[in-house]
Amino acid sequence: MNDESHRANPDSSLIPHPSSFPVVALIGNPNTGKSTLFGALVGLRQRVGNYPGVTVEKKTGSMEHEGRRYAVIDLPGLYSLAARSRDEMVAVNVLLGRYDDLPPADAVVAIVDSSNLQRNLYLLSQVLDLGLPTVVALNMVDVAAGQGISLDVRRLERELGVPVVPMQAHRRIGVDELKAALSRVVAAGPAPRPSPLPEAVRREAEGLAALAQQAADRGGVVPRLPAWLAQRFLLDAGGHLEQAIRGDGDGRLREELPAARERLAEAGFRVPGVETAARAAWGSRVCEAAVRQPREPRPTASDRADRLLTHRLWGTAVFALVMLGMFQAVFVGAGPLTHAIESGISLLGRLLESHVAQGALRSLLVGGVLAGVGSVLAFLPQIAILFLFLAVLEDCGYMARAAFLMDRLMARVGLSGRSFIPLLSCFACTVPGVMACRVIDNERDRLTTILVAPLIPCSARLPVFALLIAAFIPARTYAGGLVGLQGLVLVGLYVLGIATAVLAALLLKRSILRGRTPPFLMDLPTYKWPSLRTALHRVIERAASFLRFAGTAIVGVSILVWAALYWPHGAETVEGSHQRESYLGRFGRMVEPVFRPLGWDWRIGAAVMASLPAREIVVATLGVVFNSGEEGAKPQAGSGGPQAAFHAATWEGTERPLFNVPVALSMMVFYALCAQCVGTLAAIRRETGSWRWPLAVFGSMTALAYCAAFITYQVGMWLGS
Amino acid sequence: MIARYAQNEIPVQRLRRGQSALVARIAGPPEDVHRLEEFGLRPGTRIEMFRPGSPCILRMAGSKVCLRTERRVQVFVTPAASQG
Repeated sequence: MNDESHRANPDSSLIPHPSSFPVVALIGNPNTGKSTLFGALVGLRQRVGNYPGVTVEKKTGSMEHEGRRYAVIDLPGLYSLAARSRDEMVAVNVLLGRYDDLPPADAVVAIVDSSNLQRNLYLLSQVLDLGLPTVVALNMVDVAAGQGISLDVRRLERELGVPVVPMQAHRRIGVDELKAALSRVVAAGPAPRPSPLPEAVRREAEGLAALAQQAADRGGVVPRLPAWLAQRFLLDAGGHLEQAIRGDGDGRLREELPAARERLAEAGFRVPGVETAARAAWGSRVCEAAVRQPREPRPTASDRADRLLTHRLWGTAVFALVMLGMFQAVFVGAGPLTHAIESGISLLGRLLESHVAQGALRSLLVGGVLAGVGSVLAFLPQIAILFLFLAVLEDCGYMARAAFLMDRLMARVGLSGRSFIPLLSCFACTVPGVMACRVIDNERDRLTTILVAPLIPCSARLPVFALLIAAFIPARTYAGGLVGLQGLVLVGLYVLGIATAVLAALLLKRSILRGRTPPFLMDLPTYKWPSLRTALHRVIERAASFLRFAGTAIVGVSILVWAALYWPHGAETVEGSHQRESYLGRFGRMVEPVFRPLGWDWRIGAAVMASLPAREIVVATLGVVFNSGEEGAKPQAGSGGPQAAFHAATWEGTERPLFNVPVALSMMVFYALCAQCVGTLAAIRRETGSWRWPLAVFGSMTALAYCAAFITYQVGMWLGS
Repeated sequence: MIARYAQNEIPVQRLRRGQSALVARIAGPPEDVHRLEEFGLRPGTRIEMFRPGSPCILRMAGSKVCLRTERRVQVFVTPAASQG
């Protein structure tokens, strides 16, 4: 059943594991209902993972039909098999079976949007040239009918040479017929089909394949090129495949490629244009034969909605309302849940304190594990609601309109509209914002957005700002009570974060991430009622991902910080004096000279260092360090306790007050620009696939925060004197 | 810079709302041109301007797409005789 030509060469990393189930690849343009179809075929038997080295999600599942099992792989939505980046290469790699745990595909289900057939036929034409057993899922027939488009299915089958199954995947109509057709073609095996590519192109591709075969026979490392892969190698000028194979050592293949393209150009078949011309001509012919549509496209409901929603003024107003609603839901809606979780955690803490004997274990459980778990769980309601909103917006099609409206603004920063919503999400919490960057298809843009996201002021900074502003910024008002100094400082801090993010994006785009910006080209899918099932599925998947990556990082680092604050430990209870002697305390005192230019003493420095797991921990730690609370208790912002303690604190061994306005400002500026959030760093690691970037972000943001805090303190003291 | 264009060809940004046109040619770096062609914007494709501006929204073979080209890429179209 596995076509021999798909087996890679003896290089062990390319040999796929034999599978007893036929492997079916699901391929199609974005917005064709592919995920819905995947869900309909495999139900709950699906898993989401990652392909090595890329951030594309790997979705695999298993399907059953008449007692036979099939493995199904949901490939990312594509417009063409011509891969320009490692992410886009995923589909080709999966089809070839180049991933260790996925055998090469035995069959393909190609899903197309009936209301948009001509465009979908480009990829379909490439898929048919793979020579694999194929079934076409003609999805969204209801949408096509609604636009007055009629499709002659029998004629299509004749033109395409493969079974065509009309479907409405979201209503589960046609799924059984699809499964039946699939099992028939799998049983029948591969069948050769005529290709729309000119004879000359096919001959040159065969020549390259023969060369590769010879090189492999000589014992070279070049993988064998099946016919369709040789065609891609020939046609994808400057693409990822060419670079991958060129690196593989055989000189003759490398030399022959430009020669082959030169010959084709002379014959009038310039690469890559020859492919688009040939396939587009074929697609037109097929549509001419099998599709009847009205001369003038009928304005659809989506069009009517878009008259408002893409209007530069009114559309933006609607967008602002939607975003306001989202933030309202995230902050206000999550409130009760967060409160309940926090109460639960404190209850658990008190239980532990009453049942476990005082000592290292109790302190670990309460101060390390519970504190870490508590901060992770306290985030969860906010994050879940945010993910839910993002999933619904994406599913109903509004996300693309939002990207359109914000594109001009983002283009000024060197990004595109797709970066807007991920960055906006960072106002709530950076971790889901970073994870939302997956929707940005341009790799450079995506990386830039991910790197800049931690600078956007997130909601975890608020407790720090609130505490320090309430304690040290006088409650003066100006303009007859309209404008308050405290509010101004808060706004100033927000503006600082946003402005720095903008500058960082511009800088990145001009330096290390410089490159040609490809044209911004984006599909605006037809609006549809969002499926709650899909949305919930997405939320659960993302929340689980957050818990796995960010959550474990936060708990892990919390425990480490606890240990650094706990040991060495004698018989004293954990109070401020004890912290002095802990490892972190000692370290803090040792590096105090580093903090003094910022106006901080070792206690503030240690509290800042201890907030690495999550920013707002600094509030609690400051409380403990300045003896105003017990271990694990959270001082309420604005209450007498911590504020009084701050005002009373002095530099050790002197009467000089520790805290004043410049010190408070320098702390707040530090927190506006620092990366004291291991959750974000873990998310960046996950989304970029390497430690290089989170380390770079941490290093550069810490340095930036330090310098800004330094300037703030020094200027503040100088102005005050 | 792409300066000259044939009679009756105008840059796509100059289409008015509701105006139909046929794509005449796409000028620019081959990689970008190829990307646009794969997406469906090819010589001969029929388009209708849905929302002018930058980026603009074009109606194309049953779907709407959003397009913003950088200076180096230019899509030239021939407007249809009748207004949309």
